[in-house]
Amino acid sequence: MDVKIFQFNGCNKCFNETLLIKLDSHHKVQYIAEPKTWKGEKTEVAVITGYILPSDIEQLEKIKENSAKIIAFGNCTTMGGVFALANQHGYEVSPLKNYITNCLNVNSCLGEIEELNALINGDEPVKLKPLCEVCHRRATCDYLDIVQRQIELDDSETCYNDLGFLCNGFIAKECKEKCINYNTPCRGCKPMVERSGIRMLGMFGTLMGNIEMATEHSEKGATDKLADAEDDVTRSLPDILGNFFRFTLPTSGLPKGRIASSGKLIEDVFTGRLIEELPLITGLLGGTNSISLTLKVIESYEKANQIEISEQAKKYREELLKLEVDLKKSVENEDAKQYKEITEKIRKIAGNMNLSNVFFGGFKSKINENDNFEEYKTHVFEVVEGTYQNGSVEYSIDSDGIIKEIKIKEGKV
Amino acid sequence: MSECEIMDEEIQEKIQNVVVFMCNECGQGSANTAGVARMAYEPAIRIIRVQCTGQIGPIQIMDALDNGADAVACVGCCIGACHFFNGNLLSMHRIKLMKKLFKELGYSDQFVNQYTSRAAEGETAVGDFEDIVERLSTAIKEKGTIKDGC
Repeated sequence: MDVKIFQFNGCNKCFNETLLIKLDSHHKVQYIAEPKTWKGEKTEVAVITGYILPSDIEQLEKIKENSAKIIAFGNCTTMGGVFALANQHGYEVSPLKNYITNCLNVNSCLGEIEELNALINGDEPVKLKPLCEVCHRRATCDYLDIVQRQIELDDSETCYNDLGFLCNGFIAKECKEKCINYNTPCRGCKPMVERSGIRMLGMFGTLMGNIEMATEHSEKGATDKLADAEDDVTRSLPDILGNFFRFTLPTSGLPKGRIASSGKLIEDVFTGRLIEELPLITGLLGGTNSISLTLKVIESYEKANQIEISEQAKKYREELLKLEVDLKKSVENEDAKQYKEITEKIRKIAGNMNLSNVFFGGFKSKINENDNFEEYKTHVFEVVEGTYQNGSVEYSIDSDGIIKEIKIKEGKV
Repeated sequence: MSECEIMDEEIQEKIQNVVVFMCNECGQGSANTAGVARMAYEPAIRIIRVQCTGQIGPIQIMDALDNGADAVACVGCCIGACHFFNGNLLSMHRIKLMKKLFKELGYSDQFVNQYTSRAAEGETAVGDFEDIVERLSTAIKEKGTIKDGC
């Protein structure tokens, strides 16, 4: 079958992942990294990766005219993805279905190649269970007494949400990346319900039932001012948009954000997020540079706040950086076999391609059976206000750990 | 009704639909009492009777706003006096999060509110309605309606 793969805006991880189609199929695959230069020729299947901006309409029309089947691959194309957080600052990052209504969707960040293959071949879509069914942690859904932004990694039985550590697993399907296996709660990139963010917000709001709330009576004997009062409920979730609508903002039905923009989409994605989320977001959207970008962010903070790193952790980090270089080479050479081998090695250390295992102070789960996990285990770290810089990345956080400003120099990330 | 009367005509035009979810116990009870006492309130208020405000969450609020409501409010029993268990507290938790979400998006947080009232006192419900409209008109004066991106 004639397959053309297009990369629109955003990180190119999903685009690179499509290299794997070559491995076990006899399709005629063509990669088009810049759809603007594509002349337009008839094709059976068009796979689109990356998020869509209003300026891409012309190219999309061309693809629509020439293709028999269109598949949106990866979370950015299906729902707007993590880049859509920039919509908070007035951008119009949108999913493909806003422009092409009958496209097929392969959700999740990173997109899963098995599902894509099934759709290209016209097979039945892969049936997936809800994430909680395959999670080894068990939920009780009791009201929470406390909401935590970071947890110590000593409990591997209790549901993250029961610990007060927000996990979007309730609304998610099972996936390949499985952040939950690396002591990272689910980010909700593969929702199984419509408007997942809003539903999860309602769910977590209910779970927060035991959190102390301002209840003094106001003048009229009513509670008219109470809903505005600052209390533990509002303080415990400093970044609702980033936590619940991380991947689904354009499809959530919320109005377009009106916060002033810094002028750069990538920087607006980060502004307003929390410091403990920072490595997770850089891991998601860094593309082929995600490892170096994540490590730069982490190391700048560790260095400034004297967070000690063990030799073993340093070794693993160096190994990751080396793998990143190799990965870039394999992508350049379009070598699917090598790509698969390297990603498997990255997954072994970093957990998944979104680097869920990498964190401040070390790693979140055991990498090698023979390792002493205590050596490089991460611990809860203090949020320290200040400006941090490392090479091409500079960011400043306030006393709540919210990122106020970030600068990422292009080309060097 | 003094506050409503001095409201600018222009703003009054913009406040056409305020959806108020009232619980079947105290909320609706006090609205009934207000009706018996022939108290007047803003015509823009549209009451929807629900069993308990605990039924109302972000989904219902967003549905109302998406379908043309200018603002949404919940009126439940007094804090600690939910006729079921703690429905009013739960909905208050969710509404606080919704308010914060709107602030994070750069909007006024007065499009969503939570109130309480007492079934025996009709003025509590009417007072709540007045307060909704008052806050909404201040928000619109400052930043415009939610439709034109307040």
